[in-house]
Amino acid sequence: MSEIAPAPLPGFGVGRAMRRVVGRGFPWIAASILLLVLVCALGSPLIAPHAPDAISLRDAMQPPVWQEGGTTRFLLGTDNLGRDILSRIIAGARISVTIAAYAIVLSGFIGALLGMAAGYFGGIVDAVISRLIDIQMSVPALPLAMLFAAVLPPGEAMVVIVIVLTYWTWYARIVRGEVLSLRERDYIALAKVAGVSTPMIFLRHLTPNILNIMLVLATLQFGSVIVFEAGLSFLGLGIQPPQVSWGGMLADGRNFIEVAWWLITVPGIAIMAACLASNLLGDWLRDTFDPMRRQL
Amino acid sequence: MRRYILHRLWQGAVAVVGALLIVFVAQRLSGDPVALLLPMDATEADFEAMRSALGLDRPLPVQFVVFLRDALLGDFGHSYLWNMPAMDLVLERLPATLELALAGLVFALALAVPLGVLSAVHRGGWIDNAAKLFAMLGQAMPGFWVGLLLIVFVAVQLQWLPAYGRGTVGHLVLPAIALGWYPVAAMTRTLRSAMLDIMQSDYVRMERAIGLPERAIVWRFALRNAAVPLVTLIGVYFANMLGGAFVIEVVFAWPGVGRAVVEAVFARDFPVVQAGVILAAVIFVVVNLIVDLTYGLIDPRIRHE
Amino acid sequence: MSTAQRDLVGGILVALAAFASVRSTEAAEVVVAFGAEPVQVDPTRSSAGVDQYFTNLFYEQLLTVTPDLERVNWLAESWNVDQSGPDTVLRVTLRPDVRFHNGDVLTSDDFRYAYERQSDPISRNAGRFRYIRDLIVLDDRRFNIVFDTPDGAFIPLNLALFAIPRRYFEEVGDAGVQTHPIGTGPWKFVSRTPREELVVERFEDYWNPAAQPAAERLVIKIIPEDTTRVAAFRTGAVDWIDAVPPALIADFETLPGVRVVSLPAPNNLFLNINVTDANSPLADVRVRRAIAHAVDFDAIIEFILYGQGIRTAQLAPGTLGYDPDLAPYPYDPERARALLAEAGFERGINVNCYNLTTPREPYIKEMGEAVFAYLGTAGIRCRIVQLEYGAWINLARVNARPVMDGILSTMWGQGLPGDPTDAWSGHLHSSGDGWGPYSYHVDPEIDRLVEELRTTLDPDTRERLARELARVKHERVAGGLPTYRPMITFAWRDTLEYRPWPGAFWRSMRDIGPARSAEGIR
Repeated sequence: MSEIAPAPLPGFGVGRAMRRVVGRGFPWIAASILLLVLVCALGSPLIAPHAPDAISLRDAMQPPVWQEGGTTRFLLGTDNLGRDILSRIIAGARISVTIAAYAIVLSGFIGALLGMAAGYFGGIVDAVISRLIDIQMSVPALPLAMLFAAVLPPGEAMVVIVIVLTYWTWYARIVRGEVLSLRERDYIALAKVAGVSTPMIFLRHLTPNILNIMLVLATLQFGSVIVFEAGLSFLGLGIQPPQVSWGGMLADGRNFIEVAWWLITVPGIAIMAACLASNLLGDWLRDTFDPMRRQL
Repeated sequence: MRRYILHRLWQGAVAVVGALLIVFVAQRLSGDPVALLLPMDATEADFEAMRSALGLDRPLPVQFVVFLRDALLGDFGHSYLWNMPAMDLVLERLPATLELALAGLVFALALAVPLGVLSAVHRGGWIDNAAKLFAMLGQAMPGFWVGLLLIVFVAVQLQWLPAYGRGTVGHLVLPAIALGWYPVAAMTRTLRSAMLDIMQSDYVRMERAIGLPERAIVWRFALRNAAVPLVTLIGVYFANMLGGAFVIEVVFAWPGVGRAVVEAVFARDFPVVQAGVILAAVIFVVVNLIVDLTYGLIDPRIRHE
Repeated sequence: MSTAQRDLVGGILVALAAFASVRSTEAAEVVVAFGAEPVQVDPTRSSAGVDQYFTNLFYEQLLTVTPDLERVNWLAESWNVDQSGPDTVLRVTLRPDVRFHNGDVLTSDDFRYAYERQSDPISRNAGRFRYIRDLIVLDDRRFNIVFDTPDGAFIPLNLALFAIPRRYFEEVGDAGVQTHPIGTGPWKFVSRTPREELVVERFEDYWNPAAQPAAERLVIKIIPEDTTRVAAFRTGAVDWIDAVPPALIADFETLPGVRVVSLPAPNNLFLNINVTDANSPLADVRVRRAIAHAVDFDAIIEFILYGQGIRTAQLAPGTLGYDPDLAPYPYDPERARALLAEAGFERGINVNCYNLTTPREPYIKEMGEAVFAYLGTAGIRCRIVQLEYGAWINLARVNARPVMDGILSTMWGQGLPGDPTDAWSGHLHSSGDGWGPYSYHVDPEIDRLVEELRTTLDPDTRERLARELARVKHERVAGGLPTYRPMITFAWRDTLEYRPWPGAFWRSMRDIGPARSAEGIR
């Protein structure tokens, strides 16, 4: 592995500036963006200047405040029903974070448990779980989502189910690999000899060792869940109105691309910022916890 | 090698059956599969006929076998909206989706190869960082959003390229960018680290010692060797793009499988959804199989295993 | 090469060039884009208004309506209603020498066949034939339609029957008709790729040269997404589009070389309200009036539709029974809440609200969202279910499952010039056998009024009855709450000449072709 030694800094400013964004130090900007998203999610009814679903037709299609015709009442403008974009972005953060939280916890838990079982017991258990992983991974995520959208009532629960189904394999594969190597360690063998029960071994000896990886995976997954949810809602298969979602806002704004650029720009930037921040923070965590760059 | 091929074929078959199982489970999850498979104004007699055809009075494993048998016979249900076999309906859209996914792949490679090579050669330089930033943006900007932005700015305002339709290369450009940007990040990263390894290998040192021009070493020798890990990635992402094309197809009104499936979801035409998902899974498995076998041919270590 | 050879080659080249130039100026292929797409191309199996977009190209009726909204004889050379005997008899004489696309001559027997097919219970418009006892063929050009009871809806439907070729239909069967429809219409079927395009060519042996299209070939692309359809027009991929998004009409009007026309769609939008369950709050007329008062439709038309809608109390101007004195329920959220409280729902009600989405009518999805948001502020809280056109067609039927059980954003065409009889038979009369399978209303008195209107032929009496029924319907908010008649906007490049005919919701594509030069004869 050849990239541990830092490369010499190039002498000019553009490079330095970019290094600051993508470089190795703690990603302060990314962390602050994520924090902002979380604050919006937790405090959305308090922070939002307007009710996100309150329509006011006479205020429809107001541009953002900095553009001619914009007002400070609607900092980021309004949509075709006169709803405040800023408030909708804040409300959308709540939905995105809620879904991401459920999806990450559930897929992380299921994936880690199955991964640990497969790695620890080996044999037939491993074979069955590995095959399950293979099967699950042979159905690409979006078509799978459409399948479930066709049979389940659309909404948050459906979105969470689809994401969990898609992502548990992610955790399972990596945890399995990790546990495979842990299993051979002396202290596990010792615990076994000492008669420690299997659940105890899982809880006391295996779990602490995979927490780091789980944290990295969860951080990386956050961004990818947000994009996935946005895609589903954009197609109209995810979050249903009157609930607000960033993807749904993009879909609604689509018909007005030519007259109101902010309708598709603002939610897109929100998605991008959240995802970028989660990727950057995840990369940093990975480099910190796992400098040898194993299979993450 | 033969054992390896047989093993991979077996694995592929298991995966396809597994995918069928998932579709089957989803069907039963809905509560009443018959209501899914028949038009909403079907008569009670239609319902009875379908119930017995599906063997709903028999135990679930038997029902699954019936389902598998129908699938093997090529019967994936009948689109009640379009009054034709559901699989025909999605199959006729497959060329368009393949075309789009290929174009996306070409775009991704056209970016990833130079970026990967140059960022390895100029490690830590501005190209390296710019490539990272670019790739990161690609991973964070959802393809459908990129597509919308391209439509607004490139097609509608600048009128450089068509925003709709299929036929010429020009029609392909925008959807291909929207679809192909995402994998650029992973491809660049993989190629970069492979290039770094190779550039520090003894061969390269030797060639440098002989006095071969650096450009020839990088682009001819090193790239050829670094491309091996890229092949797997190409397969994985190509298969993913076939699935991911679903959203892009909707954005660009591309007449592919994905758009057909999305429309079917809304029209409650479940047989078409089911056929589309099965098709996507089969393609995914087949592409991965081909990649693995190709990889086996390229990489001698696997051949001898 | 000898001189002779050279001359020959030269001659061929000249001929080819001449041929090519003829092709390029006259072959005149016109490419257009529709937002919505029909499923059916067989008019006797059609279940949705949108199907007319295609059936109208291939099939014709005994009567038609001209661009000046005049009903004229079409395939019928003459017809009259004879009530001198015990039965009402409609006597029809066909025009001579009308041919189908396959060369067969249209005869009375083909209409007999159409009658059999259309009155078959499997046909979704079987209810239109419930008062007809029989269709009797007299000879190749004459037949009688014998009524059990006179039917006032029959004439506004252009005598309801479609000219279909019995021999061809029986030969190829339903599936064959789907893959290659044949009629007497101005366009011949060439090919169809579902969800992509339909290609047709001019029928050279068309019986009415005066109404023949100037274009030789017409390609209809299907582009449901507004943005994409507009982009296709702007970039020149298509030369004509329907359903120009209202937000862009002003912009389109300033485009050089582009013609724009907005026309009242022969369609009526309304909120259907299911009152079939006597325990539902919606069965209480006060709740329905609350719904009527809760929504500011004037604002919706002005701000969401950019003015592209005609507010209706019950019927649009120009329709039979239109009463200028009947005003819509005014927007009054206070009154709405008071009515709810009066009905015993101080804390509001929860209902399912089905939001219809279709590229057929501009911004119908956004309109629905606004309506449901208004209802919410008045205490009628909606659980919104998005419903795409294809699913809606199925769900709106009463014997469908699951049954729609709340408020449904919906539409029902009343034709141009408008006549509500057929529509009210469908969604106001309480769904008797063969009446309208789409009705969610139960009210015996209204049923009686609908039947009386339907079985009356005298125009003045019909006008009076329709007005009376409209008033009762309005007071009881029965058969749903009418909202507006949408405007539909078409745009085309001035290299085309185009005149909209009202058939198929103004999309009959009859009068379309390359623009003639100014001194050209027309």
